[in-house]
Amino acid sequence: MTEDKFEGFLGKAAQSYNAPPARTPREEMWQAIQATRAARPRVVYGGASLLRAASENQFGSRVWWAAAAAVVLVASGIGIGRWSASPDSTSQTTAATPRPAPALTVSPPESMPDDVGEGEPALVAGGRPRVAPSRTGIEGSPTPEGRVRSSGSVAAAGSAPISAYQLTAANHLSDAEALLTSFRTRSAADQHLDAQLTAWARELLSNTRLLLDSPVAVDPQRRPLLRDLELLLVQIVQLSPGSTPQDREIIERTLKQDHVLTRLRTAIPAGQRGS
Amino acid sequence: MESAAYESRSSVNELQLVTRVVAGDAAAERELYETHVDRIYRLAFRLAGDDELARDFTQATFIRAFEKIGSFRGESSLSTWLHSIGMSVALNGLRKTKRLRNREAPIEEGLMVGSTRIEAEPDLKERLAKAIDSLSEKYRMVFLMHDVEGYTHEEISGTLRIPVGTSKSHLFQARSKLRVALADYAPEWVS
Repeated sequence: MTEDKFEGFLGKAAQSYNAPPARTPREEMWQAIQATRAARPRVVYGGASLLRAASENQFGSRVWWAAAAAVVLVASGIGIGRWSASPDSTSQTTAATPRPAPALTVSPPESMPDDVGEGEPALVAGGRPRVAPSRTGIEGSPTPEGRVRSSGSVAAAGSAPISAYQLTAANHLSDAEALLTSFRTRSAADQHLDAQLTAWARELLSNTRLLLDSPVAVDPQRRPLLRDLELLLVQIVQLSPGSTPQDREIIERTLKQDHVLTRLRTAIPAGQRGS
Repeated sequence: MESAAYESRSSVNELQLVTRVVAGDAAAERELYETHVDRIYRLAFRLAGDDELARDFTQATFIRAFEKIGSFRGESSLSTWLHSIGMSVALNGLRKTKRLRNREAPIEEGLMVGSTRIEAEPDLKERLAKAIDSLSEKYRMVFLMHDVEGYTHEEISGTLRIPVGTSKSHLFQARSKLRVALADYAPEWVS
């Protein structure tokens, strides 16, 4: 068979590969687009949204915020490394067990007594955040003895608390997007996957609630998104192994009606996606 | 000559449409959407192999496009610009979720594409699908866009932001790999 014939054959045979339906769901998608846009702040074309403009007036775009946060976190990491290398630094450590989950850990201020329950991260107003996203971010920095530095890292990270929150929020939304997509595309018969998703949803739910109480939830676009996400995660967490297809349908209906996935995807900064 | 005049007129129309969208004309937004949604959706579906994902990617593409339309300068065609956003959204989404195409998708539905009914053997279809899946992302993209959806190398070049020569090279590589993968069906292709 000649080259041309092979190409012809290939082109025709490949038409069956992921073949789209004959009818594009134009109207449904248009309604979804309009609904999503209506839930977001109106963009001023040729310029920026009022929200973004305000942000830029303070310190450039969100990208720069994220970059600045990353630099601060890396610098604080280096600082911690050097600080921990010095022999007299051990006296400044406080005994604490590294917290396994939830992933988002926000440390109390230095004056806070050590009575916060294990594994129950506390968000304290005015406290300086130490960011430790589990999947995509930077973990806390426990020493081999299971100690966590208290003062040095907080001092460094405290120089850009909002940036750290933004970075954490972006990572969190990114994880949530992955979970919801996995949930929606899983096989109904896959009980094992359901159990994994439920465990993952539980972790994300606690982080969502923490974020709802944090400064990132002040954002008028992000707050309703986090609220809708919280509702969905609660529903997923409550799914038991014996749950009926109707239970799943309710979740999927919520997912569709609120356009949560689309809103998540558009809320995640470009650089954050696929991380 | 006629072609150049058509392109020029088309380009002017596009810029007028964009200007109206920027001015907040809802009808223009709808017109832009209606003009391009089919191709964006089809390509998203080819990549995702899943209706829900394809819808999500298409919606996210237009939401982003409407947000960024003020930055469209007409340096490329509106279609290329939109496809560029669309591919970025789709590829990031697919990478993120590591979503594999759903092989349980009703393949038979896919046999009716346009007016051409493809009569490929079920086993061959399955083998071909697996072979396309196993292509690297860059080869798969170019192959699907060119050989399946009929995009030109110029369009692919603008959408994926690669030189035309690279697009051609990727297509050649993709076809070569598929040829080897399908060698059982016609050994003479490999030689």
